[in-house]
Amino acid sequence: MSIVSQPLLKLENITKRFKELTAVNGINLEVTLGEKLVIIGPSGSGKSTLLRSINLLEEIDEGTIHFEGSEVGYLLRNGKRHLDRPHAISALRAEIGMVFQHFHLFPHMTVLGNVMEGPLTVQRKSAEEARSIATDMLVKVGLSDKRDVFPATLSGGQKQRVAIARALAMRPKLMLFDEPTSALDPELVGEVFDTIHTLADEGMTMIIVTHHMGFARELADRVIFMESGNFLAEGAPEEVFSKGQDNERIRGFLNRLL
Amino acid sequence: MKYLAGRAFVALLFLWTLTGSCLGAVDYDQLFRQSSDLMAQGDLDGALALLKQVPTPAVEEEAGSFVSSRMQAARILASQNETTKALATCQEVLKLFPDNSEARNFVAALKDQLKPGWHTVLADTLRFLPALAKGAVMTLLLVLCTMLVSPLGGLLIALGRISTLRPVSWLCWFIIWFFRGTPLLLQLFFIYYGLPSLGITLAPLTAAVIGLGLNYSAYLGEIIRGAIQSIDHGQMEAAKAIGMSYGQAMRRVIIPQTYKRLMPPIGNEFIALIKDTALVSTIAMVELMRAADQLFNTYFNITALVLAAVIYLVLTTIFTFIFEKIEYRAGIYEHR
Ligand SMILES: Nc1ncnc2c1ncn2[C@@H]1O[C@H](COP(=O)(O)OP(=O)(O)OP(=O)(O)O)[C@@H](O)[C@H]1O
Ligand SMILES: [Mg+2]
Repeated sequence: MSIVSQPLLKLENITKRFKELTAVNGINLEVTLGEKLVIIGPSGSGKSTLLRSINLLEEIDEGTIHFEGSEVGYLLRNGKRHLDRPHAISALRAEIGMVFQHFHLFPHMTVLGNVMEGPLTVQRKSAEEARSIATDMLVKVGLSDKRDVFPATLSGGQKQRVAIARALAMRPKLMLFDEPTSALDPELVGEVFDTIHTLADEGMTMIIVTHHMGFARELADRVIFMESGNFLAEGAPEEVFSKGQDNERIRGFLNRLL
Repeated sequence: MKYLAGRAFVALLFLWTLTGSCLGAVDYDQLFRQSSDLMAQGDLDGALALLKQVPTPAVEEEAGSFVSSRMQAARILASQNETTKALATCQEVLKLFPDNSEARNFVAALKDQLKPGWHTVLADTLRFLPALAKGAVMTLLLVLCTMLVSPLGGLLIALGRISTLRPVSWLCWFIIWFFRGTPLLLQLFFIYYGLPSLGITLAPLTAAVIGLGLNYSAYLGEIIRGAIQSIDHGQMEAAKAIGMSYGQAMRRVIIPQTYKRLMPPIGNEFIALIKDTALVSTIAMVELMRAADQLFNTYFNITALVLAAVIYLVLTTIFTFIFEKIEYRAGIYEHR
């Protein structure tokens, strides 16, 4: 069946430069529906830039992005690449959820308000409908008792779970997690991982950047080791972690983490 | 014969003194008598004029006439409530004869009179209050109009400044540059007196609101831009990541978070605005300052100015209080 074999996301030759620095260097990647992909790699290797390029928070210099089989994000005009029209970009982002290292909850809205905001403002659903979606999402992340408080009163782990609920409320087809637990105290990491695990079990397609190898090993269908904007190794978790021992770079990185 | 000659002599002397010349010791009895007659007839100004003809004494014998003439003049002036002029006349005497007790006592009495009593201040207050209240209402109207217009103008200018459309950004930069870089008084003059030469004639109130509105929009524009740019960049990214457009992100996420930060500087600007409205008194608007100035010039009474100061203070205090409340409300999500 062609629909099944067609990847949800397909990146071809993605390159992103900041002045003379090449943050992402000609990356090719396919993510199939329901796949859980974990990206690991040292600081500054381009993991965040790659994620941000996927939902067009970064404008790439070269390459193409296909989402659900059609090319997205850029137009060719007079032989030059341009970002697509704003509404097309927003429409793509609405289908891709993103969770940030530092949560970025909207501090002036209650927890419920944060989660409702996407359905209400972007999808223009009625307040009632948005509230019912948001309530469901808060149940899913286990925070329905916090719906009426402001984010300032939440713990880091709770904040991140609200951020996940906010992304989920848009019913995204792909979730991007950029180091979702790096800003958390160690004892709060577990609750966020559990939430992501639940999502994974429900079949959500996701790309996760993380430094937690145990979590990667447990969750990932595939692990990619990234360095200096390139993929250095790619494969099933066991494969990368064991075969990685042959690669001096990967071995060094993994040893430093353990 | 002798009598006639005497008359002629006095008449001659009268002429001399009129031209300001004086030959020596003269007896001014005649002059005093004439001035007394005039006073009796109620012609106080005439009496004063005659008395003023007694010159400053050239010889010692004239000192008596000089002093009596000036003291008489001072009494007439005092009776006409011309206290300041009466005082000045006494000072003429005291300058030459610092120890003259009559003049000193009179000065002391006059100064006592100048000190307003309770009842006079109260009477003045009641007399001036209606005009001042009318002026204050106009001032308040100006303040409220400008407070309505300038945040909107300021927001437009701020959004224009951070726009990626170069011409828009430049235009807004220019507006800020011009209106912050020239005196408000000059801008008001230009709008009210200058625009008519371009065929645009504005009513004083319209001109004042436009002038204050543009000026304060420029100031608020910079303040609002600063506040927008101070919001963590992650907020815009998070808004975009759930699919919001730039406009939606600004309206729903960024701008609401600036309110709390905006309140203290905008409150400051609006306090300054209350006082800056005094400048529009120069373009034919009768607001509080102009009303006080008119009263002061009419009655030469400082109570009008003191009352105006009190009204300005009341207005600024009320607004300070309101802004503090709003600031607290705007940031309530940080307190809970
Ligand atoms: N906006 C930017 N302007 C200039 N350089 C940037 C910008 N964003 C990222 N970079 C650079 O691009 C490179 C890749 O950055 P990126 O944030 O993608 O790394 P990362 O793998 O996510 O690192 P970390 O683990 O620290 O998050 C780094 O050298 C970084 O300094
Ligand atoms: Mg990163």
